[in-house]
Amino acid sequence: MSLNTQLVRSLKAPARPAWEEEPHKAGLTAKGGLLLLCCLGVLGPLWIVIVTSLSPKPVIDRVGGLVVIPQGITFVNYTELLSGGQVSRAIMVSVGVTLVGTLFSMAVSVLAAYGLSRPGSLGHRFFLITMMATMFFGAGLIPTYLLVQSLGLTDTYLSLILPSAVSVFNILVLRAFFMGISPELTESARIDGAGDLRILLTIIMPLSRAVLAVISLFYAVGYWSAWFNASIYLSDQDMMPLQNVLIQLVQKHTSAPTGLQQAVRTGQLSALGLQMAVMVLALIPVAVASPFVQRHFKKGMLTGAVKG
Amino acid sequence: MTPNAAAPSSGPSGPSRRSFLASTAVATAAVAGGMPLLAACGGSDSGEREGATSGKAADKLLPTFVASTVANPDLPSKNGSAAGYTGKVDLAALKASVPDKLGTGAPFKIMSPFWGSPPKAGCAYYTALDAAAGTKITWQNQDGNTYGQKLGAVLASSSIPDMVVVPSWELVGKIANAVTAKFMDLGPYLAGDKVKKYPNLAAIPSDAWRMGIFGGALRGIPMPAATANWIAPLYRKDVFDKKGYAVPKSADEFMSWAKEATSAKAKVWACGDMTWSAWSFFGVRGSGPIGWDTGSDGKLTYRIEQPEYLEALEWVRKLFDAGVVHPDDKARTGDAGQRFTAGQILVWNTNIADWYGKVSEQAQSNPSLQIDAIDLFGADGGNPKLYASSPATIWSLIRKGASKTTIENALAAADFSAAPYGTKERMLVDYGVEGTHYTVKNGVPVKNDLGNSEVLNAWVMLAAPAAYYAHPDFPEVARKQVEWQQRMGAFMKKTSTFGMNIVEPTRWANLSSQFEQLEIDYVRGHKKLSDVQAAISTWKSSGGDKLRDWYKELIDKNGSGN
Amino acid sequence: MSLTAGSRPDGTRPPAAVEEPTAAVAAAVTKERVPPKAAKAGKVPFMVRLRRDRTLILMTLPVILLLLVFNYVPLLGNVVAFQEYDPYVSSNGVTAIFHSPWVGVEQFSRMFDDPLFWGAAKNTLVLFVLQLVLFFPIPIALALLINSVIRPRVRAVAQAIMYLPHFFSWVLVVTVFQQILGGAGIIAQTLEDHGWSGFDLMTNAGLFKYLVTAQAVWKDAGWGIIVFLAALAAVSTDLYEAAAMDGAGRWRRMWHVTLPALRPVIALLLVLRVGDALSVGFEQFLLQRDAVGVGASEVLDTYVWNMGIQNGDFSYAAAVGLVKGAIGVCLVLGANKFAHLLGEQGVYHK
Repeated sequence: MSLNTQLVRSLKAPARPAWEEEPHKAGLTAKGGLLLLCCLGVLGPLWIVIVTSLSPKPVIDRVGGLVVIPQGITFVNYTELLSGGQVSRAIMVSVGVTLVGTLFSMAVSVLAAYGLSRPGSLGHRFFLITMMATMFFGAGLIPTYLLVQSLGLTDTYLSLILPSAVSVFNILVLRAFFMGISPELTESARIDGAGDLRILLTIIMPLSRAVLAVISLFYAVGYWSAWFNASIYLSDQDMMPLQNVLIQLVQKHTSAPTGLQQAVRTGQLSALGLQMAVMVLALIPVAVASPFVQRHFKKGMLTGAVKG
Repeated sequence: MTPNAAAPSSGPSGPSRRSFLASTAVATAAVAGGMPLLAACGGSDSGEREGATSGKAADKLLPTFVASTVANPDLPSKNGSAAGYTGKVDLAALKASVPDKLGTGAPFKIMSPFWGSPPKAGCAYYTALDAAAGTKITWQNQDGNTYGQKLGAVLASSSIPDMVVVPSWELVGKIANAVTAKFMDLGPYLAGDKVKKYPNLAAIPSDAWRMGIFGGALRGIPMPAATANWIAPLYRKDVFDKKGYAVPKSADEFMSWAKEATSAKAKVWACGDMTWSAWSFFGVRGSGPIGWDTGSDGKLTYRIEQPEYLEALEWVRKLFDAGVVHPDDKARTGDAGQRFTAGQILVWNTNIADWYGKVSEQAQSNPSLQIDAIDLFGADGGNPKLYASSPATIWSLIRKGASKTTIENALAAADFSAAPYGTKERMLVDYGVEGTHYTVKNGVPVKNDLGNSEVLNAWVMLAAPAAYYAHPDFPEVARKQVEWQQRMGAFMKKTSTFGMNIVEPTRWANLSSQFEQLEIDYVRGHKKLSDVQAAISTWKSSGGDKLRDWYKELIDKNGSGN
Repeated sequence: MSLTAGSRPDGTRPPAAVEEPTAAVAAAVTKERVPPKAAKAGKVPFMVRLRRDRTLILMTLPVILLLLVFNYVPLLGNVVAFQEYDPYVSSNGVTAIFHSPWVGVEQFSRMFDDPLFWGAAKNTLVLFVLQLVLFFPIPIALALLINSVIRPRVRAVAQAIMYLPHFFSWVLVVTVFQQILGGAGIIAQTLEDHGWSGFDLMTNAGLFKYLVTAQAVWKDAGWGIIVFLAALAAVSTDLYEAAAMDGAGRWRRMWHVTLPALRPVIALLLVLRVGDALSVGFEQFLLQRDAVGVGASEVLDTYVWNMGIQNGDFSYAAAVGLVKGAIGVCLVLGANKFAHLLGEQGVYHK
């Protein structure tokens, strides 16, 4: 089969395996309808958000809330949000923290998930319980802040990564997937003298692409949308990540406290429209990232790996 | 468990929930338009290590008052109102209020809450201000939404910035103790005639300074507020005129007008949540220390014990039951101010500062919009019974252990930002540098983009002159705001606790904290009147009566505030 | 999950798998991979085990260290639950612990005497059960639905759309719901135009629990499918083929092949969800408490917020947090035991 026909196939005709029966018309319709309903349930509200973010201020003022039916379009909310020099810098910060943080979190999490994937190993239960306890007991802000400060992490980017680097939930999910891989696959490698690190890197991880993609996404989303730690641990405004800058930009346009009349802008922009624009901007990285993750969800993609 | 529980964005105890309070607080501030409201509606009901210093003892701590004669307001303060300036800006006529640079240029750090996106260090605005005041300030402009948490954590650490701005609504729990423990007595620099070195600080009214006494010493440099400062029931004058509605003058009139004006089909409701106005209509005092007063019968009572408290709530409940309150206000979502300008509600009770905010915001897109404020009426149609609000709500403080040079530089900065309206310093603080941050057209200063992004609420947080309104672009609004306060101020009386920075003992600090929610629930029909009554008697038995004794002793010792 | 369940190394297919694919897959996924306990723990000497498992231990250590430093050390701060803690009484928050008065279990008895606490606990439990019944199965169902779609384009688009609401803030979700279901919302206005009035779902205290569950489904169900999709990606097509060859139809294949493959993940998430039963959401409830009143909306997390954190009462917040944590641990242990009884691994082994 030529590459070309392959391409055509993947785009058009779905690869229905020979053994699978032709679907019923009714079943197909029901399935399609259900899927459509789910998507419309999401797209409806999303529509309202997008329309509001694109509506001129007089329209939003007249409607007095979110705009459902578009009456004129302006991109001023977006240009206003993105024009400040701070936003471009903050995007760099956020991208950097997300990349470094996700890599670091994945590294320690994958190691730990594998390290805990063999029940009966020394300290297995102890480590597992040590980890899980942190899911249920939280520390207050003051002790956490004092710790981060005494480690000299305040006003460094490390304060945005280290305190939140580990998600026990993510490790448990990884571990469950690792444990689902048949030991027969690793046994032969072990007999050949491969160590655990090699088994992890050459057998387990290639077989776990889907879950690795998912957990990376969880970590990345977490780092990308985090803002509270930055607002507490950082004092230098030039270090702030994107979420903080967006939150603060939007606030600028809500009415300022009294005594600060001079800070109130004379209303070319609608606070609501800006807030909606921020929401839409927040969705863009997700829309961009999701095909990359989806690629790892192809059905039955592991069959080849086993047979080959 | 949804996978997002795995997101590493937050620590286990959930910063999102912490952040939320602050955002609610600022949302309230945004809806209410300002800080005095928050003070009036609770949150400020605790303070330093128990008690207050007032009367003669306090007067010894205070700076001598030296009125500023630099620029006289067109409408002087009367009946506790703010002053008003209704003229145009003439840059050539601005005077100097700080003859000599008081700062020595020694660097120091200031932490303050900030709403907006803070400018970069070394921006033109900060540089110009530093040059003019002779200071060298490193700003730590912290997000106003999470300021309370940041403040709580920073104060518990051993590295506190040299100068810290503390708003009254962050003085919850034990933060007030921290103010006494961590910040210095400014008496040696400001008490009596010493303040004369700082002429603008000397011109801050003594009532406001008195609120800066924490733990028996003058620690806070205040941002003064007008005492004739109530939530104003703003109304859409254009709609009232068009429909021929008469402005209501009693609780019953309001009710019948509201029923007439409401038409759910046309998406018009009479009003938002009127609880805050109802306190004024019925003569209920504010919450916190200012809610205590000795009646004509000599009995000291708290606001929830006033018979008017339940009457006010019952009236608001009737408004909700009658369906004249906008459903979104019933659900307390969205922005009531936006519903007001969209004409979905015709009466919006809010901070009077929103009057100007909405007029200027709508001037271009909706020039026909007209706003006025309903004169507060007595519920029965007579004169209202109004209580003075707190004369200061934000302080800047200097950390204990700061060097003499740092203190003098911090005071120089505060003095600069307390410059009265009509001075070069005020203009610089409020608008930045002419040509760089703003231009003056027809006597109205207009900020350019740089001005909008750099000249924000940093310097203005350090101190302020006596309360005033000045809107060169809408001078009529300033006049009406001041006149409304003056008319209402005529009916104002002070409670026995007025003007004292009182700290209730922590064991009773949360005694009254339930009531705000109870009020919200009762007027919306989610609680019964008997629930409120039960809460009041529980309040009495579980500490309220003891708190009364404590207040009685305090007032006997310090003298009444009225 | 297992890669080998369908095909033996010798290429033959076990006849049993045809008749009972369930058993085959289930056995494969839940199979104990280590010899029974007696064979190792009791008899193998410590040093031997250390040598044997040292790589595994080294691999686990970074996470354990991070947790020790950033979770356990600040956790020590929870001793203030037995104090009347004032973080500012001394030069810093740590030394302040030694200067704050000890009050024993006073904070705890205060909590147990507070009817508001019990109201919040009741609401939390009701909401947890509702979420478990009405929310938990939906991502699984959606994952199966998406998985059954063959066209990659349709799949990708549908998936991407379903993720989106997760990234909406709660403020926005509540605003959007208000805009649609509120008293001045789209539905109410439409009804009003046709002569009906008084429609307002958003301030109805009685229906609130269903409303918030619906909101949670709308916001997070789509995002929740992602783990299940990853699990489904690991199911060998051979299993489907084998089942189909033996005459199993669509539904039978889903029941006997797909669902069993998801079982370990479902069990894991279920156990963790039960352990987290006392957290049913926070911001969502805080945002809507005024709309329906405290009676209907107060849950444990908002209670801690109102009584402890918002009032700056660190000791009380710590006390409630400790009780909540202790209950969470008991629940997760119980759920895990229950999973073992059903033949699942749950989170950890016996």
